[in-house]
Amino acid sequence: MQVVLLAIVTFIFAIDQFSLTELLYRPIIACPIIGLILGDMKTGLAVGGTYELMMIGNMPVGGAQPPNAVLGGIVAMVFAVKSGFSVEEALGASVIFAIFGQYVVTLTFTVMSGFMAKADKAAEEANPAGIATVNYISMAILGGLFAVLAVLAYVGGTAMAGPLQAFSDKFSWVMGGLGAAGGMMRYVGFAILLKIMLAGDMWGIYLAGFAAAAILGNIPATSGATLLLVAFIGVAIAIYDFNMNVKIANNAGNGGMSDGI
Amino acid sequence: MASNATVYRDLTPAQPLDKATLNKMVWKSTMLQASFNYERMQAAGWLWGILPGLQKIHTNKEDLSASMSHNLEFFNTHPFLVTFVMGIVLSLEQQKADINTIRAVRVAAMGPLGGIGDALFWFTLVPITAGITANMAISGSLAGPILYFIITFGVQMALRYFFMYWSYNLGTKAITLLTKSAKEFTHAASMLGVFVVGALTCNYGATTLGMVIPNGEKPIDVQALLDGILPALLPLGLTMLCYFLIKKKGWSPIKCILLFIVIGIIGCAIGIWSGSYTPLIPVPWH
Repeated sequence: MQVVLLAIVTFIFAIDQFSLTELLYRPIIACPIIGLILGDMKTGLAVGGTYELMMIGNMPVGGAQPPNAVLGGIVAMVFAVKSGFSVEEALGASVIFAIFGQYVVTLTFTVMSGFMAKADKAAEEANPAGIATVNYISMAILGGLFAVLAVLAYVGGTAMAGPLQAFSDKFSWVMGGLGAAGGMMRYVGFAILLKIMLAGDMWGIYLAGFAAAAILGNIPATSGATLLLVAFIGVAIAIYDFNMNVKIANNAGNGGMSDGI
Repeated sequence: MASNATVYRDLTPAQPLDKATLNKMVWKSTMLQASFNYERMQAAGWLWGILPGLQKIHTNKEDLSASMSHNLEFFNTHPFLVTFVMGIVLSLEQQKADINTIRAVRVAAMGPLGGIGDALFWFTLVPITAGITANMAISGSLAGPILYFIITFGVQMALRYFFMYWSYNLGTKAITLLTKSAKEFTHAASMLGVFVVGALTCNYGATTLGMVIPNGEKPIDVQALLDGILPALLPLGLTMLCYFLIKKKGWSPIKCILLFIVIGIIGCAIGIWSGSYTPLIPVPWH
């Protein structure tokens, strides 16, 4: 019973880390819930509070992925309650699971890049159900794999850490490779946008945007607001372009009219 | 074929979206990252979120198909502020604006919000809330997690509602001014869009080399050499490679993705890319 409930809430937390409320998965909420399932709410509050404070410096910001907090928290709870570890010991022993959680995230994001072709087809056929299906598949993969890892930790306990660590040491280059590839895939997305937007006279603008971000992004004082500042510059250019072209169009129109008359 | 259209067939503005539909989309906006992926990031979740509106707006199949196709392009913004982009894009869709215009506005709006959202939410609201409530939890009080959820979720949903209505009305008002000079507006908006994509290439581009060639006292960091030539040279080069392969060689996006998986894994096997991993083949530079 416990293990089924654990699998279900892990499934939900896994999805929640990117969608839904994006809050339930936070250790301060997730750990007490796991504690309730395992029959020790008090430990849940203690682990959750401690882990939450640890995480304040570790936010999911700008697409960077820290070792996964969802699995880290859940597994730490399992170890704290079932193996009677102290809060610190439990958090330490859960790190390898957090790393595997990260692998699962990388894997899901990679696999789902392949599913975008299916979404394209659904869009072309004007089929909303097809778009929903793609989203459901993604959530099922992510939630399912997370649930498997949580159950592994529950059943195998700390004994699982050894084999996982060995696997991680041996195949870290594959996961590193998928991570590197994942970082490159967004260039495909940019290229698709550029294929449509980059008319002949836009090359300079594209490079100017790149340059603006390169400059602002490498100055400590402005790097946090890079894209906002870039937008300010871009808006100025766009408004200038708009006004100039409207003026030209108006003049041309007036000229033509008066000549005609 | 439909995906290549630049104007909708039915150019009669649709009925303004009713409150029930807008509210539905506010809630569906929470699923923005349901199918997050490396290629188009939030694209499919974004489209899923605005579909209730698009289905009301585009009553014929060709237009719905065209609208869905262009709304499935690369998309990434802050999850809690996405309704701002939704509102403005939906107002343009409702007025049957030029597809290039809608695309340009969408791209221009999504970029800056990411930074604002992170600063507001993850760097300000969450740390403060966590600082107060985490200690309550540690001392055994259930009020800690409950308070944490109410504050952060409440602020998040309030933002989502506010931005949806505000930007939808804003877009509806602005469009009447702009239809007079639609062609000029599209050109200007496209410029802004391309400018932002250029910035994204640099800002989101995270590919770096992890090669340090041993050289006695002064090891050579290859990435530092590249940065000396041009910062974010690799992201720019790889984007251009993709652009070339897709535009000139007719490659499909999926083929480019497979190419990157091969480059990524082979690169890590021989220790070229940065990151904490052990290369398959022991190399002196990683």
